[in-house]
Amino acid sequence: MGKRTHRLSRRKFLLASGAALAAACAPTGGGASPSATATPKTIKIGEILPFSGVYSDLGNSMRNAANLYKKLNPTMAGRPVQLLFEDEANDATKAKAAATKFIEQDQVDVVMGIVPTPIAYALRDVFHNAQMIYIGTNAGGDWLTRAAGSIANQPASKSPYVFRAAFSSWQISEPIGEYLASKKALKEVQLSYANYGFGQESAKDFTEGFKKLGGAIKGDDVKPALGTADFVPFVQQIKNNPTKATYHFYSGADAQKFLTTWDQLGMKAAGYVLYGAGFLTEQDVLENAAAAKAAEGAITSLHWAVTLDNPENKAFVDAYQKEYTKLPDVFAVQAWDGMRAFDEAVKKLNGDTSDKQKLIRALEDVKFNSPRGAFEFDKDTHNVIHDMYIRQVVNQGGKYVNQIIDKVGRVTDPGK
Amino acid sequence: MSVEQFVLQALNGLAIGSLLFILAAGLSLVFGMMDVANLAHGAFYMLGGYLAYTIVRGSTSACFRASIDFWIALLVVPLVMAVVGFVVAGALLRPLRGKHLEQVLLTIGVAIVLADLVRACWGGEVLSLPAPRGLDASVTVVGQPYPLYRVFLIAFGIALAIALWLVQERTKLGALIRAGVADTEMLAALGVDTERLFAFTFAAGAALAGLAGVVGTPILGLAPGIDDTVLILSLVVVVIGGMGTLSGAIVGAFIVGPANTFGALLVPEFALAFIFMVMAAVLLFRPAGLLRR
Repeated sequence: MGKRTHRLSRRKFLLASGAALAAACAPTGGGASPSATATPKTIKIGEILPFSGVYSDLGNSMRNAANLYKKLNPTMAGRPVQLLFEDEANDATKAKAAATKFIEQDQVDVVMGIVPTPIAYALRDVFHNAQMIYIGTNAGGDWLTRAAGSIANQPASKSPYVFRAAFSSWQISEPIGEYLASKKALKEVQLSYANYGFGQESAKDFTEGFKKLGGAIKGDDVKPALGTADFVPFVQQIKNNPTKATYHFYSGADAQKFLTTWDQLGMKAAGYVLYGAGFLTEQDVLENAAAAKAAEGAITSLHWAVTLDNPENKAFVDAYQKEYTKLPDVFAVQAWDGMRAFDEAVKKLNGDTSDKQKLIRALEDVKFNSPRGAFEFDKDTHNVIHDMYIRQVVNQGGKYVNQIIDKVGRVTDPGK
Repeated sequence: MSVEQFVLQALNGLAIGSLLFILAAGLSLVFGMMDVANLAHGAFYMLGGYLAYTIVRGSTSACFRASIDFWIALLVVPLVMAVVGFVVAGALLRPLRGKHLEQVLLTIGVAIVLADLVRACWGGEVLSLPAPRGLDASVTVVGQPYPLYRVFLIAFGIALAIALWLVQERTKLGALIRAGVADTEMLAALGVDTERLFAFTFAAGAALAGLAGVVGTPILGLAPGIDDTVLILSLVVVVIGGMGTLSGAIVGAFIVGPANTFGALLVPEFALAFIFMVMAAVLLFRPAGLLRR
């Protein structure tokens, strides 16, 4: 019985794939000038996001924002938009399978998403070799948009097909290093970070900025694995170091667990002060009451804050809150901007995305006002150029948010 | 590492060791009696943890709706898991009696199905449970605040070890279990219904895994993959301590718990390899485990 169903389904599969092949071979209705009578071809966007594990909250926010963008902008240059989602589950094998499905089976026009840096590095060649345009909406590893051969054993390098609408590790961590050394006159800091690609880069980039202006890193770095279940031993290790100023990289569930443990072990009362890459105190983390309590007063850097005062951000925050009854976070902004950037490029080409090289040129020229402020791509590296904000967590009438206390204008990754 | 730091981290290691003991006791019991390494043990832990989460947090799951507290979960979840274990043993393992390899493979299947069911019901997000009221305070240890819940967990593990030891040594059930571990065929020849004994043993093992899920969740939290993490650690515990003995589970757990904590702190790049190095060292000198007769 089992065998029979199997054979039937294979026959069905052959039929279906034959039909698909025929459809693919048939002439498509004149890509260059879409006629008014024919229905315009759908733009397919494949989003590879984490919906399980340590970064699932980030994936959910990004899916929300992409869906919201589509709801408010149902067409791009007259072409209807279809969003496809696959769970990357913080697993390079699953992410690779998802990318292959989008490229070969769904034949999407563009891939977006990917949260953890190591996965973006692992998939860079997949996109490059398939000549598939990928707009990164989170993973911030520096090397994804830097030239090949800058260091030995470089984990990835820029590609004409890879754009990044999110940030680079350097953009977030180097400026706050300089800021703490100069404006806060800090001399010594100890480091702790999730021990994987991005955490290590974030610590290195922070150290670069902090040391440049005379700061020093004290003691051994505290390095729990990404997705650590129990943070108590690690926070105790931080407390064992007498340096009270501390810089951290954690994001998603790690950040929540880290901060609740920080609260539980009385770190604030013991005089320890939190600084970090902005994900540590982003809106998704501050939803947890104990984490928010521990985070109050923490100073972090990021390319956006929910309190940012510009018309695009107001409209975005209002629309998001209306749709999902909670505040958006930076991950939502990044997914939103990825959609917007592609939309702008498609509009520039009047909906004709048939020529990949033209599409790349159009994306390189995209400029718009994002909720984070002025948005454009660096033409050399395809990494985003944007302002960085120094933010402090405050209690605003019972709601914890990041308030902007300083700004570093037009931060460009030094990669070439 | 200062002395204070060492004491605090040793306590963390003991708390994890205590949790691993509860897990390994169930795993070891089933193996000793039935000659089956129950590879669904981690999934039983996970299901127990999610059930506890639902009971404590109330109506957050699509599958269950209840609103009672941690202590009720501590009683109810092991009972529910015992029923699950009883059904798995009676309905799935029993037809394969005598075929140990097939039974082990079947437990892998059960583990996969349970993991997917848990995901379908509770989703893939990382969930956490606060320590229950009364145990969410801190105590002062070597001048530092230390979470009271971990002290409770260590005490709970020790109390359970004593209780299990008393059951094993001083009750008729314990005598049956010891006899079953030593020689099942002889026990059957004496007129004991070993099939029923197997099913009860398996149910008891599942109940212990569920109990570990309840007390472990406030520390480890819940997420996909937690089943594999605890399964691997508890397998290492029984391999180090010796399969099928209660004392082996105790000794193994209180080696692996601290090794896990100190490994993650001192050699973060090799944390897991560190535990396996300990296991390899034990196997080199005592291939049957430290306390296997």
